[in-house]
Amino acid sequence: MKVIIVGAGKLGIKLAESMVFENMDVTVMDTNAKILDRVNEHLDVLTVTANGIDIRALKEINISEYDLLVASTDSDETNTLICTLAKKLGCKQTIARIRNPEYMAQLDFIKTGLGIDHIINPDLATANSIEKYLLKSYGFSGDFANGKVQMVDFNIRSNEYFVGKKVMDLKGFENLLITAISRNGVIIIPSGSTEILEGDIIHIIGKSEEIEKINKLFKDDYRKKRVQNVMILGGGNIGYYLADKLSKSKIQVTLIEQDKKRCEELTEKLNDVLVIHGDGTDLPLLEEEHMGSMDAFIGTTGFDEENLLMALMAKQAGVGKAVAKISRPNYAKIVDRLNIDAAVNPVYITASYILKYIRGGKVVSVSLLLGGDGEVTEIIVDKDLPIINKPLRELNLPKGIIIGAIVRDGKVFVPKGDSVIKPKDRIVVFCLTEDLPSLKMFFTDNKGGILSELWNRTKGSRIHPNS
Amino acid sequence: MNYGIVLKVLGFILIVESVLMIPSYVISIYTNGVDKNAFLFTILVTFILGMVLAKRKVKDNSISAHDGLAIVALSWLVASLFGALPLYLPGSTKTYIDALFEIVSGFTTTGATILADVEVIPQGTLFWRSFTHWIGGMGILVFTLALLPALGVGGFQIYKAESPGPVAGKIAPRVRDTAKTLYKIYLVITIIEVILLLIGKMNLFDSLVYTFGTVGTGGFSTKNASVGYYDSTYIHLVIGFFMVFSGVNFSLYYLLFKGKVREFLGDEELRLYVVIIAISVLAIALNLFATSYDNFRLAMRDSFFQVSSVMTTTGYSTVDFDLWPSFSKGILLLLMFIGACAGSTAGGMKVIRILIMLKLIRREIGKIFHPRAVMPIKSNDKVMPNETIAGINSFIALYLLIFVISTLLVTLEGVDLESAASSVASALGNIGPALGFAGPTRNFVEYHQITKVLFTFLMLLGRLELFTIIALLAPRNWRKEV
Repeated sequence: MKVIIVGAGKLGIKLAESMVFENMDVTVMDTNAKILDRVNEHLDVLTVTANGIDIRALKEINISEYDLLVASTDSDETNTLICTLAKKLGCKQTIARIRNPEYMAQLDFIKTGLGIDHIINPDLATANSIEKYLLKSYGFSGDFANGKVQMVDFNIRSNEYFVGKKVMDLKGFENLLITAISRNGVIIIPSGSTEILEGDIIHIIGKSEEIEKINKLFKDDYRKKRVQNVMILGGGNIGYYLADKLSKSKIQVTLIEQDKKRCEELTEKLNDVLVIHGDGTDLPLLEEEHMGSMDAFIGTTGFDEENLLMALMAKQAGVGKAVAKISRPNYAKIVDRLNIDAAVNPVYITASYILKYIRGGKVVSVSLLLGGDGEVTEIIVDKDLPIINKPLRELNLPKGIIIGAIVRDGKVFVPKGDSVIKPKDRIVVFCLTEDLPSLKMFFTDNKGGILSELWNRTKGSRIHPNS
Repeated sequence: MNYGIVLKVLGFILIVESVLMIPSYVISIYTNGVDKNAFLFTILVTFILGMVLAKRKVKDNSISAHDGLAIVALSWLVASLFGALPLYLPGSTKTYIDALFEIVSGFTTTGATILADVEVIPQGTLFWRSFTHWIGGMGILVFTLALLPALGVGGFQIYKAESPGPVAGKIAPRVRDTAKTLYKIYLVITIIEVILLLIGKMNLFDSLVYTFGTVGTGGFSTKNASVGYYDSTYIHLVIGFFMVFSGVNFSLYYLLFKGKVREFLGDEELRLYVVIIAISVLAIALNLFATSYDNFRLAMRDSFFQVSSVMTTTGYSTVDFDLWPSFSKGILLLLMFIGACAGSTAGGMKVIRILIMLKLIRREIGKIFHPRAVMPIKSNDKVMPNETIAGINSFIALYLLIFVISTLLVTLEGVDLESAASSVASALGNIGPALGFAGPTRNFVEYHQITKVLFTFLMLLGRLELFTIIALLAPRNWRKEV
C-alpha cells in the first residue's frame, strides 16, 4: 500500500511511524526541510519538501499511484484542498484532518462535494474517548469483534481483590486474559506467577460480559457513585465537544475558560453548561466552584503541563477521576507514575482511528495502547497462514505477542496453550510495538526465498531468547 | 556506538560476499585454475564468520548516524580483507598487501593494478576482481540493503554514507526499494552492454569482465593493453559510450523510465557533465591532430575514449596517453579531479560539486556589484540549503588538502612530481592509471609497500567520499553510549 502523508506534525509523524511498521510505502510531504531531515533519520520513508496544495508537486510524485493520502497540516482548509486535488489527480482514497467545529455540521456535504473519503476530527475523537472513560470505571481501549471482545485497563490502586496476588490465583479470570501490566511506566508481560502490586494498571482482554463483571469489583470500591459533576479546564475544541456530549447525558458540567470572547462563544453554542471565565490555575477560583466535590476533572488546555498539574491538584482535592490531555508523547512514560486516572493523547487516538480506517480488509480494528508502546489488533485468519491448526504453545510466538481471544462461529473464548487457531477465526491480538514486525511475520503469508529465510531465521533467534 | 548492530551487519556483509564469490569459484573449477582451493577456502571462512556474526543476538536494533558511518567504513574494509584472499593464497600477488591493494582497487572501482602481467592470472581470479567493480560500483551495502529486509531504521544512514554525492536522494519510500530499483537499472545497463560486446565478437568471458569494468567505472581488464588490445572502433565506441552512461546519476534513468524526459534532459548536472566531456574531447582531439595524429577521425576516437574513461573515473585505455602532449595530459589530470555525476558509480569530486562551486564564484562576483542582493544558490530550480553548500565547500577543501599531503608523502619515495601527483589524484578519484611512473603501460607495482598502503587508503577515502572514513577515525566515534 502506498501512502502519502502531507504535514509532518505530531500526527503525521506518528502515522508514518505506525505505517512503516506495517510495511507500507510511506511518503511524507512537508514544506519544512529541517523537520523532514529529522524524519528521514528516524523513519524509512520518502520525504518530499513541497507544499501539498501545489499541483506540480503532487504530479511530480505521481499521486495517481498512491492508494491513500492523509492531509494532516495544521489548516483545515489546506487539508480539504489537498484532498480534493489529490482525488482529482487520481489518488484512490483521501483522509483529511478537520478540527473546526463549524465544519462538523456539514461534513457529509464536504465529503461528497469535495471528494474526501474520510474526515477525522482529533478533538472530537479525543472527547469521545474521554466520555467513554468517564461513563465506565475503566480506561477504555477498544472493542473488537462487533463489541463481543473488549480490551480495557483497570488502575487497581489498593483494591484488595488484586493487590499481592499472583495472576494465576485471581478468581473470575478464567475467561479473561491479563495481557500486560503497566508498573511505574514500564510495561510487563505477566506470566502466571507475576505478582500484582499496588498501583499497577492491568490491561485485560476478554468477553465483554466478563469484563463487566470485573467492572463491578471496582464499582463496589470508592467509585460507587456515577459521574454527575464534571469540571473541564479549557474551552478549546476538545473541551467544547466534551462539554456538549456530557451535558447531553444529563451531567452537570462546569467549564473554565480564560478567554472572554471564547466564553461568550461557548455559552452561545452550549446549553446547560456553566461556563466560567477565569484562569484555570487560579486555585481560589477553583475552590469557589467546588472543585473538591466534583466527580471528575478534565484538563484540556493547550498546555500539557498545565493539564497534568491541575489534574494532580484536583486529585489531591478529592476528585474521583482526574484526566489530563497530553499531546507530547515524551511524557507518556512518567504519566503512569503520577496519581492521575487517565492521560489521553489526541495524537494516538487519531492515529488509531486512521489506522482502523485504512487497514480495513483482514485487519478489522486496532487500538494504540500504553502510550503507543503496544496495540491490539483484530485479525481474520487466512487459510494459508503457517500458524493455523497448531497448538499455540508450539508456535513460539514472541513474548510481546499475546492472542487475547478467539472468536469462532460467534463464540468468544480465551485461548490456552493447547488451543488451535482455525481458518476464518477472528483473533484479537495484543502486541508490543517492538514485536509488530514479527506479528506481521506470523500473520501474513511468507514470501519465501533463501534470503528471506535466512533473514527470518536470524530474526527469529532474536525474538526467542528463551526458547 | 552500538557495537552489537555494527557487528551483525558486518556478518551479513560477509555472508553476501561469500555468496558473491561463488560464480568466480565456478569459473575457477570450470577452467581448473590454480585458485580454486583458495576460493573454496575463502568462501567457507567468510561464510562461517559471517554466520557467527549475523546470528549474534542484538539488544538494540537501532542504527544511529555514526553507527551508519562505522558500518559502511568497516564493511568496505572487512569485505576487502577477505576479498583479497583468493588473490594472495594461490600466489597471484607476491604479498598480502599487494592483494589487498588490488581488491580495494576493485571494490572502489579504481582499476589500478599491481599485476605486472594480467594475462597469466587464472580466469577465476580475473573474474572475481572485475566482479568487485560491479558490486563496489553501486555499493556493497546498497546491494545488501536491496537483498535483506530493512535493517531497522538505520538503512538510510547506511545508504547516505555509501552513495556518492552531496545529497543522497531516495527514489522509493523505502531504502530497500530504492536500492532494488537502482540495482535493476544497473542490471539492465549491464546486460545491454554484454550483448553489444558479444555482437562485436568479443568472447563471453571478456565481455563480462569489460562490462563489469565499464558499468562499475572500474577499469580492470583481461589484457595488458587494456581495451587497446581490441583493434575495433565498434568496441571502443561501445565501451566509450557505456562509460559515459555509467557516469550519469542513476536516479535520472529512473526519471527517464518514468517517462519524464524533460526532467532528465533538463538536469543541470547532466548538462554540465556532457558539456565538459564535449569540450575536453574536442580540445584533446585538436591538440593531438596538431601534433602527432594525421587522421582527425582517429584523433577524435582516441580522445573520446580517453576523456570518457578518465572523466567517469573508469581508467581503461586504448592508447598510451602518457605519450600525448602536455596540454592533453593536463586536461586528463583536471578531469581526474572532477569525476562524473553524483549518484553514479564513478568517483572524483563529482560534477554537482563543481557546479555549485562555479555558482558560488558567480555569486561572489555578483555581490561585488550588488552588495545587498539576495542570491540563493539554486540547483535544478531548487534552493540549496546553506548546510549542503558548506558541506560541499569543506569536501572540496579536504579533497585538495588530502591530495597535497599525499602527494608530498609519495614524493618521499623519490618519484617525480608529475607521477606522484597524478598517482594520488588517480587513487583518490578512483580512476586507475595515472601519468608517468604509473601510466597506462606501467602500473603501481613499482611503488613501495608502504606507499601502496597509502594508495589503498586513498582509494577507500575517495570511494566513501572522505568524511565516512575521516569521521570513523575520530576517537569521539568509538565511545559507547548508554
